[in-house]
Amino acid sequence: MAMKQPKPQYERDLIVEVDDLVVKFQVRGVSGQQTIIPVDHVHFSIRKGEVLSLVGESGSGKSTIGRSLVRILRPSGGTIRINGNDITSIRGKELKGYRKDAQMIFQDPFSSLNPVKTVEKHLTFPLKKHQGFKGKELSQKVGELLQKVGLTPVNEIRTKFPHELSGGQRQRLAIARALAVNPKFVVADEPISMLDVSIRAGILQLMNELKNDFGLSYLYITHDLASARYFGDRIMVMYGGKVMELADSKELIKLPLHPYTRLLLAATPGSHIDMNLTDQSNEPPNLAIDRKGCPFAFRCPSATDICREEMPSLQNKSQTGEHFVACHHSL
Amino acid sequence: MSNNNQQQPAPVLELRNVSVGYESAHGMVQAVRNVSLKIYPNQIVGLVGESGSGKSTLGNAIMALLKNNAVLLGGEVLVQGQDVYKLNKKELRKFRWNRMSMVFQSAMNALNPVLTVEEQIADVFTYHRPAMSKKEIYDKAVALMKMVSIDPKHLKSYPHELSGGMRQRVVIAIALALEPDLVIMDEPTTALDVVVQKSILDKIKELQREKGFAVLFVSHDFSLVAELAEKVAIMYAGRFIEITDSKKLNLLERHHPYTEGLLGAIPELTAETVMIEGIPGNPPDLINLPTGCAYHPRCKYAFESCKTIHPVEKNVDGRLIACHLYEEEVVR
Ligand SMILES: Nc1ncnc2c1ncn2[C@@H]1O[C@H](COP(=O)(O)OP(=O)(O)O)[C@@H](O)[C@H]1O
Ligand SMILES: Nc1ncnc2c1ncn2[C@@H]1O[C@H](COP(=O)(O)OP(=O)(O)O)[C@@H](O)[C@H]1O
Ligand code: SF4
Ligand SMILES: [Mg+2]
Ligand SMILES: [Mg+2]
Repeated sequence: MAMKQPKPQYERDLIVEVDDLVVKFQVRGVSGQQTIIPVDHVHFSIRKGEVLSLVGESGSGKSTIGRSLVRILRPSGGTIRINGNDITSIRGKELKGYRKDAQMIFQDPFSSLNPVKTVEKHLTFPLKKHQGFKGKELSQKVGELLQKVGLTPVNEIRTKFPHELSGGQRQRLAIARALAVNPKFVVADEPISMLDVSIRAGILQLMNELKNDFGLSYLYITHDLASARYFGDRIMVMYGGKVMELADSKELIKLPLHPYTRLLLAATPGSHIDMNLTDQSNEPPNLAIDRKGCPFAFRCPSATDICREEMPSLQNKSQTGEHFVACHHSL
Repeated sequence: MSNNNQQQPAPVLELRNVSVGYESAHGMVQAVRNVSLKIYPNQIVGLVGESGSGKSTLGNAIMALLKNNAVLLGGEVLVQGQDVYKLNKKELRKFRWNRMSMVFQSAMNALNPVLTVEEQIADVFTYHRPAMSKKEIYDKAVALMKMVSIDPKHLKSYPHELSGGMRQRVVIAIALALEPDLVIMDEPTTALDVVVQKSILDKIKELQREKGFAVLFVSHDFSLVAELAEKVAIMYAGRFIEITDSKKLNLLERHHPYTEGLLGAIPELTAETVMIEGIPGNPPDLINLPTGCAYHPRCKYAFESCKTIHPVEKNVDGRLIACHLYEEEVVR
């Protein structure tokens, strides 16, 4: 089956190591109960201080990977190591402890905030619980965090409720709350896709600043290649639960090797790839556990018989660095 | 705006100083303020703005389908020279869908769940073309499905059996069924995946070229509109703050500060180094608009006049810009 991604030489610098990750769900399909595999034997790693962008259309398994990493979800198989520690199936106290290291920011900040808590309350709880601040120091710390994420004037914002904030401000609050536990690693799941264009850049800039100030690492989930490239050091492209391509951001945009990446690029404004997509299929990929071959084969312009039979392994196609592609006919 | 020595045909759509408000408990929501625009046959014009800037309200106003609490505060909407607000109810019903149609925001989720695709397409013809036979209507439905690249076997499908992209294609087919001269598309690809989005845009472009209708394409996605449309109107707090040729939508040209802000806020896909900068603050409350230029609280160039004096549109390098920075420009 899929070839393991060779371990990079700087293994000690890795914060996240994902090996052979599998997530399965039982769903009700047209023909009764069915098992799907939205995360299908996935390998990747994230270096300390690195941003890995995870790109793919909806239903490709991105959020499921993100949720596994912060362990809101327990994977069905494989291992996830954070700073060398296996967190794949930890529970109870250990899992609670892990919440300090890994945080998640969601697409819809409103649904992740508590409508009856003030801004201040959203931050005092994690600051107390995970970092042990109290009294005057606690209040000062809240102020610092608000300042840090650009929620100013601080004293005015403190007493507000989520519904009194704009969409961008709510996302800033969600970021501040994630920071309050002083995490090492953040999963940001489409954090800007619900925001207006004028607000998005500010949130991306903020996440970038925090990366530098706190030495944070991110898994940045998005369906937009332009922001994936802007924020991510590397980009990983997924389709139907499988990694299709993984490379340095600039290289992946300039030299896409996988047909699916090329299709995504052709659909992105401002790209150098031009294809007429008038009759592109709209069908979602088959995630059934007993599927065969490459999940993209049914839409792929380069597909041949072997593609429909055998899943290609992820292989390094770069002479000098790392550019992984899973395609029988990659460029 | 385009070639002077070439004779300009009559516009399909002409907006003359259109203003629309909503009555609310807190006062009048000034959703569309004094908007003027012309769209010619064969033209795709983009309408971009942040959510809440008044885009859908303007689309609905053109169709004369305003909500109950909405008021046309002033201005005229001319479609093929006809003032749509001068038509009586019966005339208007005939005019709509025949001469102008609209793909409403989230329409793909508003298809009737208990009717098949065929029944929903047929409805349009039984209402507007009562003389057509069942067979003629069926043939037309098949042709429409093929036109938007859906297998006609899906005529028998219910909306929930189709993907989002397919439902949106059906909605577009229905809007084009009677071959209108003007189609308003309100965020027709928002919430769809990028590939599906692009495939629908390519389809719209292809059909538009083939049939020659005019499109007002409404979206909050700046880069998408810039690629699709020939001309772009940028809306801020109910006003067109700039109307520009889409080819000029880059930072080498002079723009309204808001347009410039938007251009600087979008990461470029292929540039060697990418710098982006957000626009500080938030869009204003349309009930209590800022005095002077509505953008002044967020504008990095704002000076004294901006806080008190309403800037009027000026012609700047062939584009319309409403900003005091261009006060000295001579109107050409
Ligand atoms: N808890 C769940 N139970 C059943 N199916 C799920 C669950 N979570 C996600 N899925 C399915 O898994 C697939 C991948 O989903 P997701 O990871 O959310 O994709 P993405 O984030 O790329 O859009 C989808 O088909 C989705 O419906
Ligand atoms: N029925 C209504 N009553 C009161 N205000 C409304 C109504 N519909 C829309 N609005 C307000 O009018 C403004 C413009 O809305 P809309 O035209 O939908 O903007 P857009 O389509 O650009 O997002 C917004 O501030 C919105 O809240
Ligand atoms: S008029 Fe003034 S405040 Fe408004 S956009 Fe121009 S410079 Fe900025
Ligand atoms: Mg998701
Ligand atoms: Mg709208």
